[in-house]
Amino acid sequence: MNVIGYGLAVIGAGIGIGIACGKASEATARQPEMQGKIFTTFILGAAFMEALALIGFVVALIA
Amino acid sequence: MGVLSDLPEHINELLEDLGGGPVIGSGDSWFYISQYTIWMLIAAVVLLVIVFAAKKRMALVPQGRFVNAVEYVVEFIRRDVGEGVIGHGYEKHLPLLLTIFFFIVINNIIGLIPGCKPGTGTMGVTFALALVVFIYFNWFGIKQQGLGTYIKNIGPAGVILPLFLLIWCIELVSLFLRLITLAVRLFANMYAGHIVMGTFAILTTLFLTPLITSFSAGALGTATASIGWMLLLVAMYLMECLVAVIQAYVFTLLTAVYISLARGH
Repeated sequence: MNVIGYGLAVIGAGIGIGIACGKASEATARQPEMQGKIFTTFILGAAFMEALALIGFVVALIA
Repeated sequence: MGVLSDLPEHINELLEDLGGGPVIGSGDSWFYISQYTIWMLIAAVVLLVIVFAAKKRMALVPQGRFVNAVEYVVEFIRRDVGEGVIGHGYEKHLPLLLTIFFFIVINNIIGLIPGCKPGTGTMGVTFALALVVFIYFNWFGIKQQGLGTYIKNIGPAGVILPLFLLIWCIELVSLFLRLITLAVRLFANMYAGHIVMGTFAILTTLFLTPLITSFSAGALGTATASIGWMLLLVAMYLMECLVAVIQAYVFTLLTAVYISLARGH
């Protein structure tokens, strides 16, 4: 059951990071000179999404 | 599959090892020196050696790869994190940001050496780091805006009172969640990465064992699968090399973001 729970937690984060990464590359393609700022924003957003998946991981370990 | 019957036992062994048993003192008491503490101290010593060696050779025009590499990292944090995120008045936060980045990155990289443990692979260390950051940006915000304004500014401006109170409560919870997510993100990344690498390493040995104990055509078949696990292990290791640096960067970046949020408008 724990493993299933962790799998569920990962789905959302996976979709989120996927969309963010796709949009970030799209934005970089449109405006290559903004690459640095876009990358920072992407990493920041990915960090927030990743935190949710990792909380799922930790809860799966504890429970 | 006969070879996989031992897997749960090996995995439990791995998890126990990653738990990092006590070196000094016993696990029953609340205070003991764990293996992670030892590795963290080693990392701190390595960091001091690197930084002081770089400082000694510091010059207007940096000479040699070593000094250039260290200065590049410092410059990267100053430009991308300091100037890029905090903006004006970032200079006085640089010592904290640089210390955090260097400390985490050295800990993570030392954890990648087989047999060593990352100091950041335990909740105690990452929570302490997160607590330092949490206290720092709150203290900075209070000093900058004054206690009353800082508490008021947790909520949004220009909203009717009932809604303001509701959002203020939610924002307060999210403020304290920052402390937890900062700690959990770093810890879980290191811990999960090492579990995955350990599992692949165990699978490599398990699939290779039949070939060593008794040579047969079937054993040769399973040994071929072991090459696949080995390749996965190498891929995962390279990925972890990336994660080690990215997580240090993320921690520093978030610290900078929280500081710039605490500064007010």
